[in-house]
Amino acid sequence: MGRVRVMTVAASVASALCVALIATSAAAQTPKSGGSLNVALREDLPQGFSIHETATISTVWPAMPCFSNLVLFDPLKKTESADTVIGELAEKWSWQDNYRNLVFFLRKDVRWHDGKPLTSKDVKFTFDVLREAPDAPAKLRINPRRDWYANVDAVEAADVHTVIFRLKRPQPSLLLMLASGYTPIYAAHVPPASYRTGCVGTGPFKLKEWRKGEFVEYVKNPDYFVKGRPYLDGLRYVVIVERGTRTAALQTGQVDVAFPGETPKTVAEQLKKAVLQLVVTPVSQNVNDNIIMNVKKPPFDNVKVRLAVSYAIDRRALIEAVHQGGAVAGASLAPKPYGVWGLLDKDLGTLPGYGKPAEEKGKARKLLAEVGQGPQKPLRVEMVTRAIPIYVDMASFVINELKQVGIEASLKQIETAQWHAMATCGDYQIGANLTGIGPDDPDANFYENYACGSPRNYSQYCSDEVMKLIDQQSRELDAKKRLAIVQAIQRKLEEDAARPMLDWRVDYFTVWPHVRNLVPHQSIYNWGRMQEVWAAK
Amino acid sequence: MKTYLIHRLAIAVVTLLGMSVVIFVLLRLLPGDVVDILFSTAGYVNPTEKQAIMRELGLDRPVWVQYLDWVRQIVSGDLGKSYRYDIPAWQIVRPLLPVSLELGALSVVVAVLLGVPTGVVSAVRQDTALDYVLRVLSLAGLSMPSFWLGMVIILGLVACLGWIPPLTYVPPGENLKLHAVQFLLPALAVGYRSSALIMRIARSALLEVLREDYIRTAWAKGQRPRAIVWRHALRNAILPVVTVIGIEVAFVVGGLVVTETVFNLPGVARFLVQAILWRDSPIVQNLVMFIAIVVILTNLVVDLLYGVLDPRLRYGD
Repeated sequence: MGRVRVMTVAASVASALCVALIATSAAAQTPKSGGSLNVALREDLPQGFSIHETATISTVWPAMPCFSNLVLFDPLKKTESADTVIGELAEKWSWQDNYRNLVFFLRKDVRWHDGKPLTSKDVKFTFDVLREAPDAPAKLRINPRRDWYANVDAVEAADVHTVIFRLKRPQPSLLLMLASGYTPIYAAHVPPASYRTGCVGTGPFKLKEWRKGEFVEYVKNPDYFVKGRPYLDGLRYVVIVERGTRTAALQTGQVDVAFPGETPKTVAEQLKKAVLQLVVTPVSQNVNDNIIMNVKKPPFDNVKVRLAVSYAIDRRALIEAVHQGGAVAGASLAPKPYGVWGLLDKDLGTLPGYGKPAEEKGKARKLLAEVGQGPQKPLRVEMVTRAIPIYVDMASFVINELKQVGIEASLKQIETAQWHAMATCGDYQIGANLTGIGPDDPDANFYENYACGSPRNYSQYCSDEVMKLIDQQSRELDAKKRLAIVQAIQRKLEEDAARPMLDWRVDYFTVWPHVRNLVPHQSIYNWGRMQEVWAAK
Repeated sequence: MKTYLIHRLAIAVVTLLGMSVVIFVLLRLLPGDVVDILFSTAGYVNPTEKQAIMRELGLDRPVWVQYLDWVRQIVSGDLGKSYRYDIPAWQIVRPLLPVSLELGALSVVVAVLLGVPTGVVSAVRQDTALDYVLRVLSLAGLSMPSFWLGMVIILGLVACLGWIPPLTYVPPGENLKLHAVQFLLPALAVGYRSSALIMRIARSALLEVLREDYIRTAWAKGQRPRAIVWRHALRNAILPVVTVIGIEVAFVVGGLVVTETVFNLPGVARFLVQAILWRDSPIVQNLVMFIAIVVILTNLVVDLLYGVLDPRLRYGD
């Protein structure tokens, strides 16, 4: 009897402990308001808060908390796709006329940080400026994503809270591009140039101070249109230029959140070893390493030479040697498990450079022999790359690979100030390059990097067949059919060695455990809003 | 003295004019310009848009017009507008100046406080174990670049204490203790190298003086060693030390560039590097001119100090 009683008591205590633990755990998971976080920045904001005038994470990451989009990728879901798009300034939206019109119904309770109400005029203003409509009321100094809106025929403010995007043809991807961190709505009553020095947005945080070269400080927007958000009282983005110091700052808790895309595998391992409780999440950056070859100039106007280069480079060895395993192989769209559109491993295996290294190098030598190059008559080229370690490391590896098949490449490092001018003008033979893509979406990628005449199509590759396929996938409404076309394009691009992909970089995004609800997505450019983030301190 | 001062100031003005030409030309010789950098943040370059921005910034005007415009601005006390930030350069530079001036001054103080006494001890205890240790330390100081030493200090603190000084500026009025910690470590990193040089110069100058007849006489007369070394010998050995200190002020500026970066201090020197990378000419030109003025004035002060320290060198009118 006594034994039964003891067991009963023990069971009761255990149950109580269990309940207490569950309650504690639940409490720990219940978001709470208050507190602030320090977030690392690798450099000062290049053009202030003017997201529309830049294409760099250095702007979009620290500027996003100030703004709102029409729609946004759900901050709490790690994979971005059409299914994870949620309304932000748009309460709801609807595709009409067989995906030719996209209608947004705006929230009525939104105010700009200066107190003025948001209306459909602000949305029309933003997109007329972005697509450089003939009657656009203002002009951006630099407009890197004009091509995203090439299919938008008109933007109409139907009434104060309704906006209609009229498209030249159906384009389901438009919604995804609108959900990117690169697509905030600007205020019509504020000149676009003023965003280079300050920020009037509708976002969860208001700009308190931008001390140049030092920090950007935000405070909670008390009039934010989502009730109960943001959770944090403030955010401080601290500029720490020196990488070693940045790592030390994270390790010692001076910053709570790392800069996205800046924690390679080796650093993450070192951090985790030093501070066990740090939370490290391997995630795609949507940034790839690739080889650009000027198809307008010999010798790379010959597809056989381009293919020889592609065959020569052992992707898996590169991932191990240059990234210590912190990258994944893939074609022109981010591979699974991170990306949605990438080729499967079995498809990749059939593409140049993914087979057995010795066999692939043999194919490269054969192709070179066909164009009269070989061990006795090596092909001599100049390889350019940016004078930044992450570029140079990759370029050095590639040069060594090329040497093994009879291509002797000398390395020329180009300063950032000259790199894009050189690449855009095609003033090079071959280069080792990095490409970042806003949303993980075929339209955003293909039109920007492979379309005939696009300024960011550095290889100047132009194929009618590929263009037709790109347009075809862009208007395809059936998801399965579209995926099939997109994968066919990726295969074709690799078979033409348009811009051979080497790998997709993986970031080991690191935060302190008290940082909650900051969920990294498969593209570093779209999840910096911070409205759901809270501090469990 | 007055004539000498006027003469030196006139030379300073000519030097600064020469400097302004050199800075201006060198900046224009660098590959790329601020507009290229602006476009690089967008990943492409559009020649038509580039021309428009060049026009907007006044960079399409002849170089000599741009130069004269800059000189005219300096004379009228206007530092122009930052290309990168689109606000007056002075507005950006003003909060950075006290940080660098404080760190620079502290570094010189550290250098002198470490360099002179160790130099004296090393000379007085010539060829003893202590002398060898101090000479090895000074050689180490000369061999270690300040940015490397700074990084070692940071990593050492992380490894041993799990702590580093604050990486955002703490004003003295907010927390004096933290402010002192924030500045002392970088000052040590910069000052150590200079102290090594000062130590070696002080040692060799003092050794020479200690062998003079009047010092031997002082020893023979039974004067206290401390008085002989500090009052008689050091006073006569100090001139080359002061000269080196003056020269080191210019080197300290170089040390600040990297140390401010490593310790993340928001000073002029760190900002200068960023401005150069951005080809932000109004900021670079004015900051380099400011540094030139500081160096010229320091040299003038050093020259005037000669007269104070050695009556034989006093400047007459």
